[in-house]
Amino acid sequence: MEKNHDEAYYKSLGFMCGLEIHQRLATEEKLFCSCSASLDELPPRHEVTRHQRAVAGELGEIDRSAKFEELKDRSFMYKLNDEHACLVDIDEEPPHTMNRKALDIALLLAASMNMKVPAELEPMRKEVVDGSNPSAFQRSTLAGLNGRITVNGNEIEIPSMFLEEESAGIIKNAESYAEYDTSRIGIPLIEIDTFPYIKTPQEAKSVALHIGTLLRLTGLVQRGIGSIRQDVNVSIKGGSRIEIKGLQELADMDKYIENEVVRQQKLLEIAKLLRSRNAEVSESQMDLTEIFASTESKLILSSMKAGGSVLGFRLKNFRGVIGMEVNPGRRLGSEISDYAKMAGVKGIIHGDEDMGKYSISGSELGEIRKRLSLSDNDSFIMVAAKQDVAEKALALAIERAKMAMDIVPPETRAVDNRELYTTRFMRPLPGGSRMYPETDTKPIYVMEEMLISAKRRRISVEEERSRLKSELGSEDMAERMMLSTGLPLYREITENKSIDKQFVANVLLQKFRELQRDGVDVESIEGERVKQIFDMFSEGAVAKQAVEQLLRLAAKEPKTPITDIVKSNGLGRVAGKKLEDLVSKELKGRNLSDKNELSLFIKSFMSEHRLNVDGSELNEIIAKLSKGSKK
Amino acid sequence: MYGKKIMEFLKSNGIEFGDIIKVEAEGISEEGELMPSTEANSEDIIILKMKNGYNAGIRFDGAKISKIRKGVPVHEFPHSEITQKKSLPKVTLIYTGGTIGSKLDYKTGGVYMLLKPEELLYEVPELANVAELKVDPLFSISSEDMSYLEWQEIAKRVHEAEKEGSRGVVVTIGTDTMHYASAALSFMLNGIGIPVVLTGAQRSSDRGSSDAFMNLFCSVVLAARSEIKGVGICMHKTSSDSECGFIRGTRARKMHTSRRDAFRPINDGYIATVSYSGEITYVSKDYANPKRDKKGNEPLVGFEKNVALVKAYPNSDPGIIDYYVSKGYKGIIIEGTGLGHTPVSTEHEHYSWLPNIKNAVEKGVIVGMTSQCLYGRVNPNVYRNLRLLSGAGVVYCEDMTPETAYVKLAWLLGNYDADTAKKMLNSNVAGEISSRSDYEDFLV
Repeated sequence: MEKNHDEAYYKSLGFMCGLEIHQRLATEEKLFCSCSASLDELPPRHEVTRHQRAVAGELGEIDRSAKFEELKDRSFMYKLNDEHACLVDIDEEPPHTMNRKALDIALLLAASMNMKVPAELEPMRKEVVDGSNPSAFQRSTLAGLNGRITVNGNEIEIPSMFLEEESAGIIKNAESYAEYDTSRIGIPLIEIDTFPYIKTPQEAKSVALHIGTLLRLTGLVQRGIGSIRQDVNVSIKGGSRIEIKGLQELADMDKYIENEVVRQQKLLEIAKLLRSRNAEVSESQMDLTEIFASTESKLILSSMKAGGSVLGFRLKNFRGVIGMEVNPGRRLGSEISDYAKMAGVKGIIHGDEDMGKYSISGSELGEIRKRLSLSDNDSFIMVAAKQDVAEKALALAIERAKMAMDIVPPETRAVDNRELYTTRFMRPLPGGSRMYPETDTKPIYVMEEMLISAKRRRISVEEERSRLKSELGSEDMAERMMLSTGLPLYREITENKSIDKQFVANVLLQKFRELQRDGVDVESIEGERVKQIFDMFSEGAVAKQAVEQLLRLAAKEPKTPITDIVKSNGLGRVAGKKLEDLVSKELKGRNLSDKNELSLFIKSFMSEHRLNVDGSELNEIIAKLSKGSKK
Repeated sequence: MYGKKIMEFLKSNGIEFGDIIKVEAEGISEEGELMPSTEANSEDIIILKMKNGYNAGIRFDGAKISKIRKGVPVHEFPHSEITQKKSLPKVTLIYTGGTIGSKLDYKTGGVYMLLKPEELLYEVPELANVAELKVDPLFSISSEDMSYLEWQEIAKRVHEAEKEGSRGVVVTIGTDTMHYASAALSFMLNGIGIPVVLTGAQRSSDRGSSDAFMNLFCSVVLAARSEIKGVGICMHKTSSDSECGFIRGTRARKMHTSRRDAFRPINDGYIATVSYSGEITYVSKDYANPKRDKKGNEPLVGFEKNVALVKAYPNSDPGIIDYYVSKGYKGIIIEGTGLGHTPVSTEHEHYSWLPNIKNAVEKGVIVGMTSQCLYGRVNPNVYRNLRLLSGAGVVYCEDMTPETAYVKLAWLLGNYDADTAKKMLNSNVAGEISSRSDYEDFLV
């Protein structure tokens, strides 16, 4: 992979890149019903099976990608648990009123990204026919327009933000059916889009990071795996818009984008090459089954035993091209194979492959070449499957092979290999026509007070960053705190309180990690209990040094109140008069003016009372006592 | 529709729905398609469909609106290119309204009916392998607005279709009152020699998950292939898209406001089930055994509109009976409690229905008793209070649902004299009464 290209390089490629960021909101209830929006796993108790089909949208046309899914002719099984899903979630009851809390969070985000909010929000149905919603659409509402954020000094435009429903989680994706868990359906989700004017893969990552931080700063979004997903749109001049779906690892976003740029470049080179060779894709599918009557190829044999056929078609002047690499570990053949798989086949066999791999004999290959009338410059593709599946698969492969001669097909792609940062074809890119109004729920008239309240609470990543910088005195610490899951807790602990903020930040960022590494599960301690420990520290009830010990104990005894832990472990702070008495008792007979003796005393005193005494207070008392003794 | 102020503005600026306009208001500056509004939208809002497909409501007051260009004319509904096979059984599909046979035209806000077979086949292409369809658009009426006048029209059309050689008839109809319609058609077409299948949708057919597709498919399968002779309802049997159930027209009831499997047989089982792959399984033995074979005879479509259905409940005012009597009503079906009670021996005399019922019966009004339990049979003998009512001349309607009893009494009074009607009310005409109560027929 080529790395570290600069802005000018990407500009020269006609690089276009935009983001769609999806974040689940942390509300108690779902967006259009009163089911729990929490994610605790409960076993399914019921199951319904449904079929879906593409219907004409508001403007009459059936969306291409919707039609494509229908082609797969599948059934969908929805599992439900009564606590997490009700009739609304399985399309058996109209939606209830939109969750006000979710709307409020959306308005807060709109204010935080300087967006305009339409006077009346119009819930829409966005058609989805992959089964991920039992209603065959996702409810989505445009909630913000014309926004902008500043990332690394660059203004990034945020044209739109949507408040929508989370889809169902897929359990199993089989050939003829898919199984979904309905618990997740309808959890409120925010989608934030940028314009496609992001200049480099690195900038895409920075923007995603910034938006992710903003979302977290609200403290009103879900955390954890799958709670945020970023889709990236990428294209280069001559190429096409490709949507890479569901990147969960922000750290690698730039690498996926870089790879997509390379893939489009390679596909364009291939198209040029094929045109110069006057390549042609034959439309006619040939039945090659007979050739394999006594084959040793296990792959073909097992398919034929199940009553399958072997079908193939000719690729004139394609020789060597299907095997060309477009991304690490992926060839043009992989792209074609992705299409064929949509019909339900496991893969394709193509002429640029070593036939020995499939135990296809030389004479069988010769026969294939004869049947398909292949010349030396030609290649072929074949599949082994049930007749109708094979036909469908080949039709799709033919469609994709034809596109190879001329364009980068616009597609939605999914992560294929996390180590190589490569993607694979999921479905054609959806067009803009799959929207129609959600007539089962009322539009929302946005009250002026709601907007004013949102503006008052608006969050700025920049402001938070500089506030943290001044509180923590270090850019590095501030940055780490911004990215940390502990930020809301840090804010809670330090709010309206005089407490050593650097100490708090150090514990949350550094100490927590150390303890966790030590096998102390501090992450499991409830935030409220961590706060109590710091509260006791700031009130002077425990010493600074006791905080770590308390965290250890709190992790071990999750049910014991913090105050009891302090008491039973003798962790209360000794301070003021009590400390003074203790010090003067132990100081008796010592020469305070002898610096060496004094430091020895402090050392031994602290090693004994480390967890109960604050070092600076001890110093103050000794200073006071020595003054007194001088008198 | 938009209010007067917006409509006038649009008109004077030559802007029509579907035109591309530019709207500048409150920091928003967007181009998009002007959409019609509905009664759900606020009055001062105009709806813009933006390039990304989303609608946004923008405040009209203070907005700068200009027309960019004329919109594309209203679309043609896509047609299927599938040709109908003449060799298949002829099935007539009568549209009467409801969500199943209609599309919302978002450009005009109007409801657009799928009138041609090729439009329907575009939606449900698998129908082309089941039947040769004749589509007969009768009217487009919401379920709740349908009256006996429409039932009479439907009955006549079904009869014509039978005469014209249809193998079966499918009637698409709004679901809310479908069980009243199915009861009415069962009586009006009693003895018909072909399957008459009523169907509808609980989810509108403009969504990919609609139950309309399977309901329609299974209904056409029944009309084209089944041995059923008579009227019934074919809808989802469960929440899943796996099979439909066919329920006798006089025994069906909508038992859920929104679920796909809302229709259930009451005091009866399913007549048959149809799988999504088109397999018919007969559950009941009398599916092909109409009481009389009146093929060729005119349907009996008379219907007495002065018949009422009233509900007795604690604290109810029996004056409701006097009201109907004074209005000249000829029949009243009471939806009583339990085995068929109304308050009669109450401490507070003015709550007793007995004098009012006696008076009604004396004036020649036929009073029938059913139960709001829905399941089970009414009984005039078990309690003294029941005996009082039956002694007053109330006809106990056996295991008929209140809705069927109401429709039956109105139909009887529309076609027979009062004495005959009274006699026929609690004897079986079209499968609405059975002499046995099967253990299995509860909460089906």
